Amino acid sequence: MIKLNEVWKEYTLGDGTVFTALKQINFAVKQGEMVGIIGASGSGKSTLMHIVGLLDKPSRGKVLVNDRDIAKLNDDEISKLRSEFVGFVFQQFNLIPKLSVLENIMLPTIYARKKLAYIPEKRARELIERFGLAGKEKNTPNKLSGGQQQRVAIARALMMNPQLILADEPTGNLDSKTGHEIMNLFEELNQKDGVTLVIVTHEPLVANRTHRHVHIQDGEIVKEDKTPVRKREVRVK
Amino acid sequence: MNRFDNIAHLLTSAVADFRRDKIRTALTSLGIMVGVLSVVMLIALGLGLKNYIQKQFQNLGANLILVLPGQGISGGPGPGLVGGAEFDEKDITALRRIEGLQYVVPAVFKSVAVEAGTEEKTGYLLGVNADYFDLIGVKALSGEQFTRTEVGNRAKVAVLGYNLADQLFEDPADGVGRNIRLGGLRLKVIGVNEKTGDNEQDKAVVVPYTTTYGSLNPKKTFWSIYLGVPSEEAVASVKEEAEEVLLRRYDADEFEITEQAEILSTINQIFGVINLVLVAIGSISLVVGGIGIMNIMYATVTERTKEIGIRRAIGATKRDILSQFLTESVVLSALGGVVGLLLATIIVLIVRIWFPVAINFLAVVMAIGVSSAIGIFFGVFPAKKAADLSPIDAIRYE
Repeated sequence: MIKLNEVWKEYTLGDGTVFTALKQINFAVKQGEMVGIIGASGSGKSTLMHIVGLLDKPSRGKVLVNDRDIAKLNDDEISKLRSEFVGFVFQQFNLIPKLSVLENIMLPTIYARKKLAYIPEKRARELIERFGLAGKEKNTPNKLSGGQQQRVAIARALMMNPQLILADEPTGNLDSKTGHEIMNLFEELNQKDGVTLVIVTHEPLVANRTHRHVHIQDGEIVKEDKTPVRKREVRVK
Repeated sequence: MNRFDNIAHLLTSAVADFRRDKIRTALTSLGIMVGVLSVVMLIALGLGLKNYIQKQFQNLGANLILVLPGQGISGGPGPGLVGGAEFDEKDITALRRIEGLQYVVPAVFKSVAVEAGTEEKTGYLLGVNADYFDLIGVKALSGEQFTRTEVGNRAKVAVLGYNLADQLFEDPADGVGRNIRLGGLRLKVIGVNEKTGDNEQDKAVVVPYTTTYGSLNPKKTFWSIYLGVPSEEAVASVKEEAEEVLLRRYDADEFEITEQAEILSTINQIFGVINLVLVAIGSISLVVGGIGIMNIMYATVTERTKEIGIRRAIGATKRDILSQFLTESVVLSALGGVVGLLLATIIVLIVRIWFPVAINFLAVVMAIGVSSAIGIFFGVFPAKKAADLSPIDAIRYE
């Protein structure tokens, strides 16, 4: 589905030195997987997620989306992929404050380039119902709890029926109980709906809900396995 | 998704942003509003002035030829309105011989203080002969106008313009039979003219030109001579002959013969330029308003960097972001334009009571068109900045 081949990401800092955020990353996600990218803050996991989510481009190496090299796509074509192929869930929820819950969830359809097989508002209302947000349609995000906002964000990510959902520390701003509920929701989406999920986290509890663990440290993938993640494995630099 | 939903979203999103900060929206639009208001008002005043002056000339009658000293109204080198030939009775006699001429009216003008009882008002002394009333086509409201006999006798009589009579007496018609004083001259009011709408005529003290001889006009000269012809076709030939007659006495640059049509076209030319200058002055405030919009839009782009990042992450293209910010700046400036136009319309409707200002279609089209164009022009730079933000930098922005 998505494949990273020998991907490097380097930044030139203000003083001219080059900072390497990602080193020689080889990484692939298959249809139906639920993958955890696990690393401490500053490990490069967010940079990796931005590249997987087509928000950023690698300095070197190839990113293949359904075997298409994204280096050969222009900005409009990449925008189209972001619209159709991938859905984002962020730690900060990243809802648009002035839009209502319903408008936020429907927002991706405004930018859709393909003809949708469903009526946007109908689908949005179904998601609202399913995620226990009924009655909040007209509210703006600041009237909702963190857990509710994150569910709105997940509904928005699902709106376009993407092949892949990327979640960057989705429980980072939630208490553990709400975080647990959100993870349940992800699990349900993966198992019942067959949604492919990549979850970036530094919390072992969250990581252990995923089925494959990719450990990243100092910009390198250090380990890939399916065994439970222990606390000391996620060291803070 | 279809285009219509997209545009609807752009508009509702813009309106939602404006509602969030009403004061800022109002202040930003205010710049354009003032700009449009001033442009439309200046055009309206320019047109009003033109209408007013045209009307003054049209009141003189259609088949009228004016003989003026100097280079007259069309300007150019020469003595101008003051100086040049000083016409007298010899010229009148000579001009009367021209064939096809209906009226020859010598005219003496002077601004004077008019006293009646304890009232004192400013009026225009107009010394003419009896043909004047026919030439201008003005009738007496009450009393009568003077005749050839009274001109011949240097009769101390006067016919008052409606407004002047209204100011001097309780009822304009009351003036008939009363005495007025112009400096040392005592005159009997024999008639009051009907209202003409022409300020000079309505404030005139019309007297036989012979009566002005003395302290009011010691040199017995005329400021101008009116020639009346029976039809428009006769204008050209009479004009030519009059020129021949006058050339026997004066140099070509000492007098000027103009007809109504020429004067009107000169007025049109002058006001074309004046209006252009007025629009240019008004446009400065429009540009200032546009810069205000640009300023606010830059601030908005910075404030909403995060939002731009979110929108890009869920699939908005550069063009989508560009359209969003352009829509906002165009709506802002068009809003200002429409409000400015409405205000201008109200002001024009009020001013019309006193002065013939006018809003023309062009002014309306320009106001809306220019304000929208300013929205696009000054909005495009901030919008471009928004569109060119890298999605990753934008979404990380706090």
